[in-house]
Amino acid sequence: MAGLAGSAGRSTMFERNQKTIFVLDHTRYFSIASEEYISMDFLKGKPADTGGTGVGSAGGAGGSGAQFSKSLWTCACESSIEYCRVVWDLFPGRKHVRFIVSDTAAHIVNTWSPSTQNMSHVMNAMVMVGVPSRSMPQSSDYSVIHGLRAAIEALAEPTDEQMAALAGGRPEELPRIPNEGRVICITSARDNTSMKSLEDIFNTVLLQQNALAAAPSKKGLAIDHCHLVILNIVPLGVESLVTNRSLLKISPLLDVEIHTVSAPNISYKLTHLILDHYDLASTTVTNIPMKEEQNANSSANYDVEILHSRQAHSVTCGSDFSLPTSIKQGATYETVTLKWCTPRGCGSADLQPCLGQFLVTPVDVTSRPSSCLINFLLNGRSVLLEMPRKTGSKTTSHMLSARGGEIFVHSLCITRSCMDEAPAIADGPGGRVPDYRTAELGQLLKMSRMLPLKAKDPTSSNLSRRLPRYFPLSTSSTILFHLQRQISWLPHFLHLLVKEDMDKQDEVRCQQHIHELYKSASRGDVLPFTHTNGARLKLSKAKDQYRLLYRELEQLIQLNATTVHHKNLLESLQSLRAAYGDGPLKSETGTSLLRSYTESPLSPERLEPISSGSASGSSNSNSLLKASKRRMSSCGQRSLLDIISSAERSQSNKRLDFSGRLCTPLGQVAKLYPDFGNNKEKDSLTTAGNSGSNVKEESIRI
Amino acid sequence: MPTLIALDASLSMLRPVPGRNEHTYQSLAIKGIQHLLDNLSAAGKLEHLALLSYTTTAELKVDFTRDYDQIRQAVKKVEAVDKACLMSMLKASVSIMSTWGSQNILQLVVFTDCGLGFGSTSVTGFLDAIASNDADSDFAWLKTLANYNVNFICLGLHGDHYFTRGLAVYQQLLDKAGLKGQLFMTKPAKNAEAVEGNPTPNPNPSHKSELGRTTVFELIERLCETSYKSTEVTLKCGSYFRMEAPVLLWPPTAPYEQPSPVFGRQPTLRHIDQRIEVCGFLALSDIGSPATMSRHWVLPKVEREKGGGSRRSGGLATAAKPPKLNLDTSNPNYELDKLETDIRDFYAKDPKDTEESGDDADVTIVVKHSSGPQTEQQRENLCVLLHGALKMENMAALVQVSDKWYGFIYAFTDSKKKSNLMLNILPPGTNVIPWVGDLELLGFPEDLVPGESASFPVRADRRSYSQSSVVWIRQASLQSDVQKVLRHAKKMPDKTQNFYKELNRIRRAALALGFVELLEALAMLLEKECAHLTLNGASNECTMQLQHAATELRKTSNRDIKSTIVPLQKVGGAPDAGSTATAPAPGYMY
Repeated sequence: MAGLAGSAGRSTMFERNQKTIFVLDHTRYFSIASEEYISMDFLKGKPADTGGTGVGSAGGAGGSGAQFSKSLWTCACESSIEYCRVVWDLFPGRKHVRFIVSDTAAHIVNTWSPSTQNMSHVMNAMVMVGVPSRSMPQSSDYSVIHGLRAAIEALAEPTDEQMAALAGGRPEELPRIPNEGRVICITSARDNTSMKSLEDIFNTVLLQQNALAAAPSKKGLAIDHCHLVILNIVPLGVESLVTNRSLLKISPLLDVEIHTVSAPNISYKLTHLILDHYDLASTTVTNIPMKEEQNANSSANYDVEILHSRQAHSVTCGSDFSLPTSIKQGATYETVTLKWCTPRGCGSADLQPCLGQFLVTPVDVTSRPSSCLINFLLNGRSVLLEMPRKTGSKTTSHMLSARGGEIFVHSLCITRSCMDEAPAIADGPGGRVPDYRTAELGQLLKMSRMLPLKAKDPTSSNLSRRLPRYFPLSTSSTILFHLQRQISWLPHFLHLLVKEDMDKQDEVRCQQHIHELYKSASRGDVLPFTHTNGARLKLSKAKDQYRLLYRELEQLIQLNATTVHHKNLLESLQSLRAAYGDGPLKSETGTSLLRSYTESPLSPERLEPISSGSASGSSNSNSLLKASKRRMSSCGQRSLLDIISSAERSQSNKRLDFSGRLCTPLGQVAKLYPDFGNNKEKDSLTTAGNSGSNVKEESIRI
Repeated sequence: MPTLIALDASLSMLRPVPGRNEHTYQSLAIKGIQHLLDNLSAAGKLEHLALLSYTTTAELKVDFTRDYDQIRQAVKKVEAVDKACLMSMLKASVSIMSTWGSQNILQLVVFTDCGLGFGSTSVTGFLDAIASNDADSDFAWLKTLANYNVNFICLGLHGDHYFTRGLAVYQQLLDKAGLKGQLFMTKPAKNAEAVEGNPTPNPNPSHKSELGRTTVFELIERLCETSYKSTEVTLKCGSYFRMEAPVLLWPPTAPYEQPSPVFGRQPTLRHIDQRIEVCGFLALSDIGSPATMSRHWVLPKVEREKGGGSRRSGGLATAAKPPKLNLDTSNPNYELDKLETDIRDFYAKDPKDTEESGDDADVTIVVKHSSGPQTEQQRENLCVLLHGALKMENMAALVQVSDKWYGFIYAFTDSKKKSNLMLNILPPGTNVIPWVGDLELLGFPEDLVPGESASFPVRADRRSYSQSSVVWIRQASLQSDVQKVLRHAKKMPDKTQNFYKELNRIRRAALALGFVELLEALAMLLEKECAHLTLNGASNECTMQLQHAATELRKTSNRDIKSTIVPLQKVGGAPDAGSTATAPAPGYMY
């Protein structure tokens, strides 16, 4: 578990490579040609004499013979932009690169602000900079020094992250924000002496800047360390008097290295340097089968080189194997060669044990093999990469996949894991219960699927409020949810019961259903269980079934009681239980619980106003229930109630009572066909309650 | 936690334990190993174990396995050979353990009488060697060893000077090599005379209580307590009390070292919370394969039927208890619990069992319950239900394991089709899966602002490879860009739009790079192409546009960011009059 390598942690936040500044020399010298010539014939696509590098060093002998060359400025410009293309592809929003162009003064191309930290901003700004003018007079005003001064000032400016860290610190202790950076200066110096003076000036300005940052003025952040990379560029074939020098500590604050490069090779130099600057590594995906452009029937194998964080390799490596490396022709660094494997989809089976995911970018973004691989990945397919083991077998050590428009390399766990050979859940505790409510929970999962929001209201619903408050795990520990599939109106009833915004009409419907139950209980109907052990329920069992059903209903309502209507239902149910000889009063917790919330200040009214209110309602539970309820609340003994209920039972045992009468308050005349020709609203309500069509879906809300 | 058990098989292990003639050091060590196996068996036989015996050389007796009987058999057959060489054993263990990846916590348990060995291969000799040249590559394996937990079961008497000196050197080894782990030893005897050195091991009566079977068992219990304890947490999914259950996370979770945001401050150790709560659900296809810090089985925690030694589980589960006759008012879910029990009894009720007292239902129910106790496997468990639903829907449950720290639980099926509930703990933080976005910003469809739509994956800004980037560092890419323009040029007027689109793309890039030489070269190429096409009788429109484009490319007034070369609109003033070509549809937009 030590080998985690996810996205950058806080510790890497203020590393030296967080801030990089390119200082581009924009003096007249840079307008001269790099002396690497491109022939017109080559551009036209005449068969090149040598492979891809059909560049006439011979000066374009054939054809028109016309040729042209990039200027030093173009070379400096394109290679530094390429450098930041890689940085911004791999560390978007985390590593920052700025450009400063220097001629008679420093020109700031972009700032630390995220809006200017992108390719299109830099490219557009560079259009305005343009190529240095050849007609400019050579004067001492033109210098790279302006740019270097500006770079040091830029290092002192905090990035957004540093601002946040500054703001986040407690006031009593001044937070110490690490502030390091790197300046890459592309210039051209006459000799070592002038290079030395460049160094000295830089060091002096650095010290001055830190003096400014110190108390009392406190201008900007103090610079803890700066790494200055000077690229001294010359046209092709020109010798430089400046000697190369590897990293040298000039002062505790400053390290300097100097490289002399011919202009056409700056890009290679920077690609090499960037590996160290950002701790990157190169992987070459080999054996990618691709259709030929000319001949679609044949396919050839290509290689594509990509760059990514070095961790993508190191996190996978174990002691018993190592990734195969090679050095590409012309390159000075190692690349790990991994073989392309049969591509797979992005299905769930593809959840790979992943030790780290890292963004990648192709070394050569415009080449055809690169764009083929990229498009393949961006279209949603992932590619496993294979490496050979010492034993001769092969392992897929990495995976390439694109998500959200970004391409990642995933380092997979290829060593033996203690998670291998899973204990099966079916063999463990609870594994032999046959009737879990898996399908119901599955429905709930789908309904609680999460989405990425732009902003979240802190009061918005959490999962606990979305999932049912009463959810027995298996059908063998519930009667209600067991019967749900057998009794068509039950799902809708249960749905109504748990509604957080139950209204009067809902309550009325529920009361009716409760009464239905009471009637069938009185008749001694056997509930339609699907799996009772005995073929027929014994008489005592028939009684039990209703007792349990009532108890369960009561629990369900209690857990969901949010409105006064729920409380009404609960009360009628409790009186019903009492009437059935199974009063809730036996359980003291039950009553105390009940009492506690009926008497809580939140409950608006006590029994009397509510029941009178219900009595005034057009249709309501029958008065018998209400009557018993009143008595219950006053005495709680089985006295008069017993007599009434047993009378009721014996009565209904003989014959089925007219349901209209049961639904009509006492003393009123039961109406025949009460729904006939009435308002449609009521009509639809009844049908909705009885039809099983939309019930299936709603039942899962319970 | 793969564990390598290393047994010291030196001749000194054959010494009888003073005062206990029935035991040698080796027989005690073997008893200790058996007891360790007993403990791990009771915990579910999840650990992979291997057995190694060592003397001058180390010999792997049993490779990593969950079949503990193999080890039980093999340990009996270990024969003492010569002297112990601890260092060669440690070195061998590194290569034996190397098949395990970095995501596993590796355990090494050494049963020894803490002999120091002799000469250059002795522990003291080794300590001197690393002190003198610690950067030596010969000691590279020590770095790997430092990732393991190295625990020593030290068998010896505190009155024995050789043993106490060994202890001190072993402790030095742990400290100097930076190894995690500790020495497990018996408590010194109470008598002060044992400390008063007499160099020869003396069968002192006080030793009787110092080292023996029970004391070795105690050491093992302590070892299990410190190294093999599963992480116990409560998994919560919704508000119903059954949707909350105690679970074991195996292998145990490791604390995370959170670097301090303030410069130079000590990192803080973070553990996962005691209660981990499901926040919502995600399709596995939306999650993909993100980097995870660690993976754990989520196993139902059950009350051990018989005493499991020191690792007794707390009395959390209510389901395991038979319902009590008296009302347990302290349990808020008593009513629900009893109801479920009653319902299960109702379904299971034996038809014969019909005597019904009517009023006193509670009593009869209890009687019936005792008649048919449930086994552990028949007792319903949240893990199993959750596993079933997640597997059916191909989904994962997002769980919050601590403040701003998440993981996800899903049904993992291995190659043998065995499936179980797995927790992947993500690196701490809320923005750890780029394509899922900020985990704190995940919500439900109802939370969407009206009109807002949301779906996975969260899209990032366009990277260079998904834009049409221009990079001309290699001349081949410059060539292909130029050729694209020329290809369109030949197909004008059909491809006039594409021609100008590509032309402007090149022009803009050339301007950004200050590559004005290319503009001139391109103008020349277009003119040449124009001349060539005219000879071959290309359409008038085509040559007109080429000429126009070449002229425009050369204009210095066009060298700013906003200008765009647009197609020539009118062909009226063309020298080749009488062309049938009508004016192209006006208003090409780029």
